[in-house]
Amino acid sequence: MRLSSNVSRRHLGAGALLALAAVPVLWTALEALKTGSHPAAWRALAQDPALTHAALLTLWTGLASTLLAWWGAAALLARGFVRQRLARLLRGLPVMLATPHAALAIGFLFLLAPSGWLLRALSPWLTGFDSPPPWATTQDPWGLGLIAALVIKEIPFLLWTAATQLQRDDVRQRWRAEHALAQTLGYAPRRAFWLVLWPQLASRLRWPLLAVLAYGLTVVDMALVIGPATPPTLAVLAWQWLQDADPATYAQGAATGVLLALMVLACSALWLASQQLHRRALAHGHGVRGPVERTPGSGIGLWLLLGVYAAVLLALAVGSVSGVWAFPAVWPQSFTTVAWEQVAQSSGTVLTTLWLAAGSSAVALVWSVAWLELAPRRWDDAMRPLLYLPLVLPAVLWVVGLYGVGLQLRLEGQVSGLLIAHTLMVLPYVLLSLSPAYLGFDPRYAQLNASLGRSGGAFLLRVKWPLLKRALASATAVGFAVSVAQYLPTLYLGAGRFASVTTEAVTLASGGQRSLTSAYAGLQLALPVLAFALAAWLGRPRRFTHSAA
Amino acid sequence: MTLAVHIHRLATRDHTLVQDLRFEVAPGRILTLMGPSGSGKSSVLAAIAGTLHSVTEGSEALRFDGAVTLDGRDLTRLPTAQRGIGLLFQDDLLFAHMTVAENLLFAVPAGPKRERLAAVAQALDEAGLAGFGARDPATLSGGQRARVALMRALLARPRALLLDEPFSKLDAALRDQFRAFVFDHLRDSGVPAVLVTHDAADVADPSLVVELGRAG
Repeated sequence: MRLSSNVSRRHLGAGALLALAAVPVLWTALEALKTGSHPAAWRALAQDPALTHAALLTLWTGLASTLLAWWGAAALLARGFVRQRLARLLRGLPVMLATPHAALAIGFLFLLAPSGWLLRALSPWLTGFDSPPPWATTQDPWGLGLIAALVIKEIPFLLWTAATQLQRDDVRQRWRAEHALAQTLGYAPRRAFWLVLWPQLASRLRWPLLAVLAYGLTVVDMALVIGPATPPTLAVLAWQWLQDADPATYAQGAATGVLLALMVLACSALWLASQQLHRRALAHGHGVRGPVERTPGSGIGLWLLLGVYAAVLLALAVGSVSGVWAFPAVWPQSFTTVAWEQVAQSSGTVLTTLWLAAGSSAVALVWSVAWLELAPRRWDDAMRPLLYLPLVLPAVLWVVGLYGVGLQLRLEGQVSGLLIAHTLMVLPYVLLSLSPAYLGFDPRYAQLNASLGRSGGAFLLRVKWPLLKRALASATAVGFAVSVAQYLPTLYLGAGRFASVTTEAVTLASGGQRSLTSAYAGLQLALPVLAFALAAWLGRPRRFTHSAA
Repeated sequence: MTLAVHIHRLATRDHTLVQDLRFEVAPGRILTLMGPSGSGKSSVLAAIAGTLHSVTEGSEALRFDGAVTLDGRDLTRLPTAQRGIGLLFQDDLLFAHMTVAENLLFAVPAGPKRERLAAVAQALDEAGLAGFGARDPATLSGGQRARVALMRALLARPRALLLDEPFSKLDAALRDQFRAFVFDHLRDSGVPAVLVTHDAADVADPSLVVELGRAG
């Protein structure tokens, strides 16, 4: 009797949670689809002269960046696993992960632009330039700058999601043993990794990978800063149309959002199919054992990645306090704190960013824990695609839906509307990062707890959550970082009444104010980094005062 | 093909696990290494196979001081992949992303595809698992999985085989069956084998038993 009422109470709770998350997600998605499916808008879109080029540019930048990021992350993981240096590989990850896309793009801009650090360092002694050359090094028409920035940004994300799998005790021990076993069958360590572990890891990274692919195909803020301008990618084009006051143009922008969603779908299917084919071809491996010798000196990838992030950080830090800085000079001739004073004067922007991030990540954490605790595994598996919808839907389409729902509920320009918009975006990331550790928690602890006569509540508070505190803290930090980085939702639901450090930074990036742009981009980077540092401190393992003799 | 092992010292930084252990195993013979848990049985196997480094990650690293030779050829400095020493773990460790046949095929040395597939078919047959090739390993019973794991280890044509408590996870009825299956195949294969166990019933050859964890 008591047991069955317990079960039904859990189902009731899970159902309520599901409604809480699924209703706004579905409503937003449907609203967006509705706005983006007017036949007239599609006709106008089909006849638009910019469409073909923009679509090809989108496919090229999205697929190339995803492929390179996937390959780069795989190579780093292979090396880290084979040499048992995963811990070292993952040490610098929080800072890289916390760096918002826009901040990275802005830092990249200051490195690569014709007046950027790279050319300053080489001028005039090597290049002979006394003034910045008229090169299109950042908003290049081929989207190379955008691809580079996306790859640099997505590799840490893929590494980190892989790490959440590899840090599970059960998985890690099993895979270590399988790796050793493959070697006793004669396989070289690297080949053993590729044949035995990578296929298993790759299939667990399916969702993160699709998120990367969707992001690369539909990114707006990064593309505005560093992507090609004339013509831009499809997502930027959609964004421009959505800015238009004319309802017909707005509808065309929404239709472009739907088109982007279809492209994401098609590319995902293509990717998964080719991965399947590749795996089938690899599964046999033809019995080739591979060379045992170590490939020397290929550790450069990690250093390159770390180096780019360090350079971006430095560029933003120096840029934010730079005064006069004539071209070939490597360092500014004068320093000033004007930019930071301006930031301090508009402290409302920082406060908005902070409460939005703290609020949305807290709500997402509470929801995720409750969901993982209450929902039957069958429900969880079935509902994941729906819950991850905001991850894979193009941001330009998503905000169309948000805006429509916001208008209907009169939430536009309201604190609550902004918070809901951020939470819907943050939730899938928090759930994604919390799940492996939470679901991998040994169920025998609960049985042990019950056999000791303790209540379920005491178990959660005294045993389960303390043991999972590292995962809980880092998932919250991820949520915080995602919220800080939100550009379009803040812009649309804020209705001009709320600005965050991200909207300020992206808006400023197209202007010429190097120091103010750097300051906002630096702040955009510093806030999530601080959140990750706080999470690391909160999630630190307990130190016992009496060590073993 | 005779396996000769000399362990001068197998130890963590401040605790010696095994000291001055010497044994030789002739082709087709099975030496049984016995001892209570914690006596370092599994570590001896890891030292012979060269997997000490990868299996003990996280816990304290073990240092191995000694020599492993196969027919006089010193293997001590070779990486695991080049030793030609197979290892049957306590868990069957069938790869979850491969079918039963693919698991076996993975072990068959490179060569013409038809011959490799024939070797797999024969192995399935010998294990009484003909027709199971396309199955997901997770759908097999514990006894069936154990047999696949042994066939996989043998298909790689190892020059010596190590078995780490291969019977401990099977129930009593299966155990006797699988034990006979293993011993038959090992003798047929003609490679020297070392079997680790804490159960006296598992001893393959009473004249070839080494006990660990006893002073002297």
